[in-house]
This record gives sequence, C-alpha cells and structure tokens, in this order.
Amino acid sequence: MFKIRKLLALVTGKALIALSRALGGQGTNLPGRLASFIYPPLLSELSRNITGACFMVTGTNGKTTTCNLAAAIIREQGFSIVHNQAGANMLAGITTAFIQNSDLLGQRTHDYALLETDEANVAPLLQIIKPRYILITNFFRDQLDRYGELDITVKLISSAVKGTGIELILNADDPLQSNWPSLTGLKCLYYGFDHTAYDNLDSADSRECRYCMLCGHELEYSYYHYAQLGRFQCPHCGHHNQQLDYVGSELSLEDGIAFKIGDLHLESRLQGFYNAYNILAAATLALESGFGKDIIKRAIASHQPAAGRMENFIIGGKQVFLILVKNPTGFDQSLAMLTGDIHTKNIFMALNDNAADGRDISWIWDTQVELLARSEEKITGLICSGQRSGDMALRFKYAGLDTSKIVIEPYLRKAIERTLGLEGQVTYILCTYTALFACRKILLRLRDR
Amino acid sequence: MAKFVIAHMYPDLMNLYGDRGNLICLQKRLEWLGQECEIRKCFLGDQVDLGKTDMFFMGGGSDREQELVFQDLRTRSEELWQAVQDGLPGLCICGAYQLLGEFYKAADGTIMPGLAFFGLHTVAEPGRLIGNILIEAEIDGSPSSIVGFENHGGRTYFDDPELKPLGKVLRGFGNNGKDKTEGLLYRNLVGSYLHGPLLPKNPVLADFFIHAMAERKRISIDVRLDDGIETIAHQQVEKMLA
Ligand SMILES: [Zn+2]
Repeated sequence: MFKIRKLLALVTGKALIALSRALGGQGTNLPGRLASFIYPPLLSELSRNITGACFMVTGTNGKTTTCNLAAAIIREQGFSIVHNQAGANMLAGITTAFIQNSDLLGQRTHDYALLETDEANVAPLLQIIKPRYILITNFFRDQLDRYGELDITVKLISSAVKGTGIELILNADDPLQSNWPSLTGLKCLYYGFDHTAYDNLDSADSRECRYCMLCGHELEYSYYHYAQLGRFQCPHCGHHNQQLDYVGSELSLEDGIAFKIGDLHLESRLQGFYNAYNILAAATLALESGFGKDIIKRAIASHQPAAGRMENFIIGGKQVFLILVKNPTGFDQSLAMLTGDIHTKNIFMALNDNAADGRDISWIWDTQVELLARSEEKITGLICSGQRSGDMALRFKYAGLDTSKIVIEPYLRKAIERTLGLEGQVTYILCTYTALFACRKILLRLRDR
Repeated sequence: MAKFVIAHMYPDLMNLYGDRGNLICLQKRLEWLGQECEIRKCFLGDQVDLGKTDMFFMGGGSDREQELVFQDLRTRSEELWQAVQDGLPGLCICGAYQLLGEFYKAADGTIMPGLAFFGLHTVAEPGRLIGNILIEAEIDGSPSSIVGFENHGGRTYFDDPELKPLGKVLRGFGNNGKDKTEGLLYRNLVGSYLHGPLLPKNPVLADFFIHAMAERKRISIDVRLDDGIETIAHQQVEKMLA
C-alpha cells in the first residue's frame, strides 16, 4: 500500500516538474509540495539514498553561489549529487530536487546532497535529514517580515542544531556566529579573511550587529572587510573573533578574485568581496570533506556566474547585465559595481513584493542609492518597474537623482524595451527574485530576435 | 533660509526597518523648499539640547536594544515630555511608539516599564501583525489617506479615553488588530506602527511635520512641491489593498 503511494508521489512529482518545464516555468516548489502531500515520508526516504554525505548551506547572502561552487567541486571529482535549484530553498524545493534526481522506485543513489536551505527551514529540515556539515555564510538584514528580527533567526538556527552532533562550518568574521561553540556545544570550524588591502577602519554599510552577543556592549572593530564582517572585540567582556581554522590571505579583487588558503592558490572569474567569501566557504567545506586541492582549484577557476548573478547578454550590439538584488547589502554591492563602470548606462530596476521577494520593501531605504548621484551624468535613465515601481522611483528621487530621468513603468516587458531604447553604452537590469526569471526570458527573446 | 535640526535618536539601536527613509524625506523636502536641514545623530549617553532641536525621530529595535534605550531616555524623560507638550514635533515608530506608553508586556510575561507619557500599554501576543496597511487620518483638519507597512508582535491598547489615534484602519491591523485604531497623535507627536518609508509615500504627513517645525520657528513655508512620484507610489499601495 505505502509503496504504491510512494510511486504515485514520485510519478506525480516528476510529471509536474516536466509539465512546468514545458510551460517555461522553474517548477521548483509545487512538485515537491504535492508529492510530500501524497506520501509524507518521501523526503526522508529519498535522503537515505545519499551514500556519501549531506551538506546544508544556510545564511543570509551567498547561499546560492557557495552551493554552486561546492557542487562544481563535487562534480569535478566525478561524484553524483542532489542539489536544489537557486532560490528553491524551502522544504518543498528541496523535495523537488530529490524527486528530480530519483528514479520512479525511489532507489537511485547519489554520492552527495548539497542543500541550500532558507534560514527558517533549517529546523524543519533537520527533523528529516541529518547533514554531515552545516555551513553558514553570514547573517545580514534580509526579508525581515518573514522572521521578525535577525536575533530570532540566529536563535532559531542555533537552537535547532543544539545536541545534534552535526559539525558547523562558520564565518569567523561575523560577530553573530562567534559565540556558537558555547551556544550550541557543537564542534565549530571557522573560516575567515586575514587583514586585506580592501579593509576599512569605518564601515559605511548598514551594520546589523555592532553589539556584543554575550553582554550587549558595543563592539570595537580594528577593521571591517565589509558590512559587519571584520576584526572585532568587546571592550567589556573581551569576546572576540574565533581562531581561524581556514584563513583566506593575500586577497586580490583586481580582475576577478584571487587569494590563498595556506598553499592553495585560488583564482575565480567572479567579482567582489562577497564572492571571495563564497569561494572561501565552499573551499573550506571541500577541504574539510577531504577533496583534493587540485580538484578544488580547477572547479573554482572554471566556474561561471549563475542566472542573475551578473549574467551577461548582448542585445542590439550592446552589453546588458542582469543582476538579482534581494537585500541592502547585495544592492549596495551592485550599486558600487555600477558606479565603478565608466560607461554611460541605462538602469532598470524591478521591485516586487511577493513572498519570495519579501513583502516589506522598506529595505530599499537602507541602501546607498545616493552613490548613483555621484556619477549622475553617466546615467541616461532610471526605469522603475514591477509591483512597487512607485516606491523604487521614490527612492531614486530622494537620493537626489534628477526626476526627469526617472520613469515608472510597472509592466516588465514595456519597461525593459524602454530601457534598451535609451542611448547608454551599457544596460543594467536589476530585479528582485520574482521578477528575475520573467526579465531573463524577455532578455533572451530580445537577444534572439 | 532657516536651518532645521532633526534629532535622530539612537540611530544605531533603534533602526531595524529602513526608518532612515523618513529622515531622508524630511531633509530633502526642506532642501527643495529652500531650507537647510541637519540630521543630528544622538547616541546612548549623548546630551541632547531640545531647545535647539526642531524635531525628533526614533525608530524600532529589538527587545534587548529597547531596554538600553529606555534606561537612557528615562534620565531625561521630564525634559522631553515638557518639549512635547510645548509642541515639539516627533515621530516614534514601532518600539519607540511602545516606549511612550506605561509598559510593555513581553511574550514571556516580563513587564518592561515605559516612559508613561500616555495612558496606553502594549502586550506581546502570539502571531505577528504583518502587511500593507491603509488608514484614514485627519491631518491639519482634512481627512487624508495614509499607506504603509506594519510588522509587529506587540498590541497597543489605549487606557486613557482622551487619547487620539493617528487614524482609522481601513485595511490592515493597526494598534492591536481589534479596535480599528492606528497610532497616536498628540499635538505634533506621532506614534505609529507604520515602519520604514512612511513619509516619502505620504507627503501630507511629511508636510505636517514641516509646517509644525516652521511654525515653531515663526517662519512661513508654503511652497508647493511636485508630488507626482509620491502620488503614484501611494496609489500603488492603495490599489493593492482595494
Ligand atoms: Zn561583550
């Protein structure tokens, strides 16, 4: 009886994945949700087909890139892997990934599973799957409306892992992860960067946690890498960064990313300090799991950015960049990159407020849009689109940008066409999550026309 | 040209939800009206000269941070209350709004005292009240639609029947999700659960503060600004809630 339900669940799940693909969708949540409804133990049973180990990756920013890099390393070694798609990081999305990689009897085995897990889904997923390692990227302000507050997120995850015996791979530069050995009683391995040429004595970014997790006093920083990541110490109780187990040193961000972990030299085509962290995190996970240095080096060197992580199109002979923005830190990094580009540029930003984007769009006011005003003469137009195009336009207006350049066009296709019609040399298409795939489709269609 | 000083109280502690948008809005609008505006950050322990302050703003924080702020504020609460009664404009959002009341009862039953400026109290009840909200307020004598976003676990109840809310809830939850009231309006002080960019989307409320500040300085500002983008942003939220 139960075997029939399992078969039915797998057939339904696979059919839905195929159907939604045929319709051009991503097919990431519904198949898993429906299949689990038909056969509740499905995820638990399929996860037992992993012969090697399960890795869970969570945190605010960088989950997708870190997972993609780790997956590239695992594949480079020739192992098979179950890996959920970018952004499909709730239980249903993870179930879909397992269904997709399973045969109809639910018996096909894989060497590894790499599970990008939304912060709020760590606790429920741990009820079903016990990973070998949990890797945490960072805790930044993100989609507050789903969790209430960052404190709650941190508490939720740290109490969910307590007593599980799982080993944690943590970011030593993030003050919100520094007291985890005592908080969780688990073995914690720390990665982080040495002093780099890009550090600041004062951080201009939004700093989520400047207060000691242990005693509430304000932390003192000897330097910031970016946001709240850096070298800190509490003047009251002496709490400070944990000892580094994996140190990123001699970081260079010129023309890609290069740094060393001991005698392992890594080079990547990705850009920006935040991606250096993603590479360091993925490499730490791989080294700790016993992967060879040459394999890691090769996989990272050949890795290409994923959809929306600065994807590049040529349309009408001109460069178009598609960038996903989800929170102030990510948006600020994109803005910094945009202002660093010396070309004249057309700028498009689609702001949606669906659940997956975060219902609360207040975060756009925590960004440094004012940066754009500094090189305003290079901007041909700011086209605001999506469900909250008005709010985005307001943000640009109050950053001091010329209102004659600001356009509100809620419809994505019309707005993108209007943006590409501007005379700038480069076009930047920025968008929140639920606008990403629609924008990408529009761009592909325009490219192939 | 006059210079306006807006005190941003505890920007490091009470700033979870993009409250900065409200300050940027006031500053820019004053500049567009030909005035100068300084946002003065006030941290724990700083001496604030309310006599040289035209308005104060305080946002929301976590329980832990709110407690630090309360301990600091109580040392100067009499002076602040006097200024509020004299008509000092102020905007207190979420946690700062709750602090104006008599107490806050946390989910675990702990009672944290407030500044007790007003006969109201807040109780943390299960389930957060989250979403876009539309209220009708009476600003400078005329009814005005106000839109925003709320996200709070605390429910605020008025104990003093004389207290006036900021507005009547048309869509959303407001003070407690039960009595259709949202926020508090007392002279030129506004308390509200509408966090983040409240003023940019509601220029009528931004201008209420600007007029109140100007009046106290005995200068007249009556230049109209072009609120085309503000109106579209406002209407997008109204339409979504319709
Ligand atoms: Zn401390």
